[in-house]
Amino acid sequence: MKTDIKKGLFADLKSARNNRIIFSGLLLLVLIVIILDIFLGSVSIKPSEVLKAVFTNADTSFATIILKFRLPKAITALIVGIALSISGLQMQTVFRNPMAGPYVLGISSGASLGVAFVILGFSSNITPDSLKGFGNWILVAASWAGAGAVMLLIMVISSKVKDIMTILILGIMLASGISAVVTIMQYFSNETMLKAYVIWTMGSLGNLTSSQLNVLLISVSAGVLLSLFSSKMLNALLLGENYAGSIGLNIRFARIVIFTGTSILAGSVTAFCGPIGFIGIAVPHIVRILFKTSDHRILIPGTILMGGAVMLISDIISQLPGSETVLPVNAVTSLIGIPVVIWVILRNRKYSGSF
Amino acid sequence: MKMNPHEILSLVSLKIGYASGKNENVLLPPLTASAGSGELIAVIGRNGIGKSTLLRTLTGLQQPLGGEIFYSGKKIEDFSRMELAQNVGYISTEIVKVSNMNVYDLVALGRFPHTNWLGKIEMEDHEIILDALKKTSMEHFRRKFVSELSDGERQKAMIARILAQNTQIMIMDEPTAFLDIAGKYEILHLMQMLSHDSDKTIIFSTHDLQMAISQSDKIWLILDDKLLEGAPEDLMIAEAFDHLFASSIVQFNSQDGTFSFRIGTKGSIYVEGEGDKRMWTEKAINRAGFTVSKEKSFPYVIIPSDNKKFWQLTTQTSIKEFMSIYELISSLGKEV
Repeated sequence: MKTDIKKGLFADLKSARNNRIIFSGLLLLVLIVIILDIFLGSVSIKPSEVLKAVFTNADTSFATIILKFRLPKAITALIVGIALSISGLQMQTVFRNPMAGPYVLGISSGASLGVAFVILGFSSNITPDSLKGFGNWILVAASWAGAGAVMLLIMVISSKVKDIMTILILGIMLASGISAVVTIMQYFSNETMLKAYVIWTMGSLGNLTSSQLNVLLISVSAGVLLSLFSSKMLNALLLGENYAGSIGLNIRFARIVIFTGTSILAGSVTAFCGPIGFIGIAVPHIVRILFKTSDHRILIPGTILMGGAVMLISDIISQLPGSETVLPVNAVTSLIGIPVVIWVILRNRKYSGSF
Repeated sequence: MKMNPHEILSLVSLKIGYASGKNENVLLPPLTASAGSGELIAVIGRNGIGKSTLLRTLTGLQQPLGGEIFYSGKKIEDFSRMELAQNVGYISTEIVKVSNMNVYDLVALGRFPHTNWLGKIEMEDHEIILDALKKTSMEHFRRKFVSELSDGERQKAMIARILAQNTQIMIMDEPTAFLDIAGKYEILHLMQMLSHDSDKTIIFSTHDLQMAISQSDKIWLILDDKLLEGAPEDLMIAEAFDHLFASSIVQFNSQDGTFSFRIGTKGSIYVEGEGDKRMWTEKAINRAGFTVSKEKSFPYVIIPSDNKKFWQLTTQTSIKEFMSIYELISSLGKEV
């Protein structure tokens, strides 16, 4: 028995060491892509100039580009990647659906509906410029509410319908329905409101004011803390709600905590950056394959690092380094995410419903 | 009713079913039953009568609509969700589908009600998990993914999981349902070992009446109008199992605990001879729709013995010999 335990512990230590190596690798990757993201862009800046801008107080135009544009954009990309990936991971576990993610299930659409209500519905005085300070919190709260409402709806549906693909189609229907509602709202709104909304929908990583970045940082930090707090509950939910209940999980409490976290994460990103697709669904799968585990105590930190890295890479690609053209980041994330999603669908056929 | 000193679970006029709004859909008449420590208890009843609902209610996953459930004298509502999980473990018919989860992690989830908020596995938990894997002889599968296990292996892993949960009571909904014969007996043997050697109370539902009768310490027989409990033999003597088949064409033979179809008898045949060959010949004759008569009369069959290699069928008009039971039976229909 004693030698058994030792042998078991040895195997566990070995896998723990493997995990440490992967974590270190991911951390290194994140650091490298942050640096690359700052160094590369549509304006080519010599590395020496970049270093000068970061470490001295030189007031050159290069310094402006680096400090006012590239650095905040890189931080935004990191936060957005983390938030979307964690929300995707949580949704996949709670819905026990490998295809769940904030974008495909219409959660992002729900968030954009919330934003549309604020910009198109309430006040004609609200423009992106006037959305400073407290206005940002109103915007983000509306976005959370929209995301949360769609989450609840999907949850009610998936308690009745178990089929993964049906839920997916319903998610797409929901997103279409919401976009129809938004179109009608646009039709009835005046020119200034419309312009403000359209600019918002084009949203990218680079348009955030520093106060918006603060709101995003605070909200996402709260969401990530909630998700770390949920990791034990998420592990139990892997077995389904019956088993989770039988091993002592308070299902209602778990749902509230996880849903709040997910709505905050997906809602905050959508509020400031617009809907960004396929990161939330793809990254958790990459992390599961990498660590070969379903344990959220490993998956959540792994997803944080991988999500940040993938979003930064998408941002670097979208800038098409060396050229002056900039691609919409949404196009790049789709091109990275869709192959993963297709792979999951094909593999899922074999395992019929497991993830 | 006399209180059994080892009694660990008792149901008193328990009403089970589903409540939606003000409507109550009560499935069964109030149930009263009990379970002692270290007992293997089979729950038997026809499909859809409410076995799963009863087991879910006992696990606390569903509210009773009335009556009481006592665990060691304490009402089920007085347990918190966590406390209940430290006393009662549960395996449903639902197949766990998770990829990238290895057997060790699955079993480790059994420690859920015993670990801290992050679910950290301490040395003590680790030892309990290894012990659970050992008892279910799953220790070599610990690094294997659950999605790659066979049905029987997965069921053993699930049992290891409730072993790790370290509960006095284990509730299993049809634990042998999708297993082959060898798998069924392996799992049942494991359950029996756990109840008798580790003093666990195991309450399981099954459709395999023969298995339940031969292996369990007690049976809760759920009928439409009542729950009968007792040792399998008590229920046999009371001819309780006949109620299960009252309206169907299957009948239960209380003498040997087997089933047969109710077929109008085509006649009776006397069998002469001894041993295994006699037993199997009688079975074949029964299956062909004949009864075996106790007194020698026509027609009769003489089964092979040391100095004769054939089955000999003698009717009033002829004597025929057959090389096998198959040939004998094929000709019975025509000859008799």
